[in-house]
Amino acid sequence: MRRAALAIGALALLGWPWAAPPYFVFLASLIVVNAIVAIGLNLLSGYTNQLSFGHAGFLAVGAYTAAIVATRWPGVPVVAPLLAAALVTALVGLALGIPCLRLEGLYLAMATLAFGFVVVEAILNLDWLTRGNDGLRVPVAHLGSWALAGDRERYYLVLPVGAAMVWAALNLARTRTGRALLAIRESEIAAQASGVHVARYRALAFVVSALYTGVAGGLFAFVVGFLSPDAFDVFLSVDFVAMIIVGGLGSVPGSVVGAAVLTVLHDSLAGFQNYRPLIFGAILIASMLFMPGGIASAFRFLKGDRV
Amino acid sequence: MTTAALIHVVVSGLATGSIYALMAISLVIIYNATRTLNFAQGEMLMISTFVGWAVYQRLKLPLLGVMLVAVVGAALLAWAIERAIIRHAISATHFDVLIITLGLSLMLRSAAGVAWTHDDFPFPSFFGDRPMAVGPVRLAPVSLGIIGASLALMAALWALFTRTRLGRAMRAVAQNQRAARLMGISVERVYSASWVLAAVVGAIAGVLIAPVIFLSSKMGIVVINGFIAAVLGGFGSMPGAVVGGMLLGVIENLAPLYLPSSIKHSVPFIVLIAILLLRPGGVVGRVARRKV
Repeated sequence: MRRAALAIGALALLGWPWAAPPYFVFLASLIVVNAIVAIGLNLLSGYTNQLSFGHAGFLAVGAYTAAIVATRWPGVPVVAPLLAAALVTALVGLALGIPCLRLEGLYLAMATLAFGFVVVEAILNLDWLTRGNDGLRVPVAHLGSWALAGDRERYYLVLPVGAAMVWAALNLARTRTGRALLAIRESEIAAQASGVHVARYRALAFVVSALYTGVAGGLFAFVVGFLSPDAFDVFLSVDFVAMIIVGGLGSVPGSVVGAAVLTVLHDSLAGFQNYRPLIFGAILIASMLFMPGGIASAFRFLKGDRV
Repeated sequence: MTTAALIHVVVSGLATGSIYALMAISLVIIYNATRTLNFAQGEMLMISTFVGWAVYQRLKLPLLGVMLVAVVGAALLAWAIERAIIRHAISATHFDVLIITLGLSLMLRSAAGVAWTHDDFPFPSFFGDRPMAVGPVRLAPVSLGIIGASLALMAALWALFTRTRLGRAMRAVAQNQRAARLMGISVERVYSASWVLAAVVGAIAGVLIAPVIFLSSKMGIVVINGFIAAVLGGFGSMPGAVVGGMLLGVIENLAPLYLPSSIKHSVPFIVLIAILLLRPGGVVGRVARRKV
């Protein structure tokens, strides 16, 4: 039953580019990218209770790294810029995560918010590298002799990477590391008393979260094809937070669903720019008041589990 | 750089710093009562200033009347938000309330954009434009006015917190909610009062700063500098909020003189990251110990 559902789901995802018009293929790629970020953010916020308002900053680091690598070495297999994006962003995550070990709650939220602003300012100022306000054109991704020039090809780049990252995140919860992270979320001091090295795991959560977001950033660069610093403002970080709140804190499927819902909503409200934050804000408040466990808790409720 | 010019820069830094201090005080008032950060504080300031301005456009009230309208508008808005939304999340975690206020800030900003567009509007000032000469130093009346008005408001707040029943009740709730309740203080009423008081302080700050930075839906962003100011002074401390605000204003104004201008916009954030890393308890405060 479960296997059959998975197989049908996989077939539907694989067949999507042939069933849908190109724009919806692009939208699906964007959903996968956002889902990877949401999972990464959820590993940090949902698992270790560290709220971040700076994930747009990580996304920007990943996107610009991938774009710069792909520009400097044209024709390099797309794996290289993506790996570079993952590595650089993870290092940035480590550099931010270690000092942030001393912070929690509001202070951490504000420090990450500040990080997001500083990244945008850095992109604007390093214009010899990032072209600053003019924006950076991202070259077409290559895989051997195959150029990923269309929406369909790019979708087939994004989908397997996304699937691998979902699979990894699902399994993380079942490992020693995942349990340690969850223990920290429940009570830091109790976890410490049980022999969990809290500082090490919190830093690890930061690095893994940044790595996820960095990979998503690399994919984002190739999917949209053009980067400019104003795309990575604090409102994008807020969107990511909204995704995990609506989807469900600490839930991997919830992150994916939350990313899908908000990405589609974002897109369908494109004609109503002025009202979009109004609706997003209302959704945030409503989900906190009426469904604090997010969509994931609604699923659990339908399945008959006790919430 | 001459001393006179330096004094000029420091004084205008103190003026923006006063606004940061008032913002920080608003945040701290709500934080002390409810232990949550109100992300929407800046947007509430913006809305109440807009309300004052809209009434000014229609009725051509004198400025003092505009400020009164803004204050009343802010109080009503805060009271409604607290009763309609925040009160329902009273048992939720601080994280949840933080997200709710974040949602509120998105909504209020967007609503202001719908009602008044996202443009900048000039706002009438209490103070003239002609610089005043004090010896060799030239000072902008608006800077001195903002500093003076803010100090007066701070003194009034100090009197409120030390001399009135409400103020004492608020301080009691800040110290220990359960003990306060056992002493017969209505903690819920203190929550409402804190939201209203914070909004009133914000509205006054908004009317004072709007002539300088223009009235716009984006002016709510000042909440971030208010937060940084509160952290600088040790979050939760009122005198700390004042010191932190003034300090941040002066640093922000002095930094571009000594640093490349390109990092000017990052200065408050660099200050925040530095203070969080070096002295999370603020420049004068201590870090509170946690319990299980």
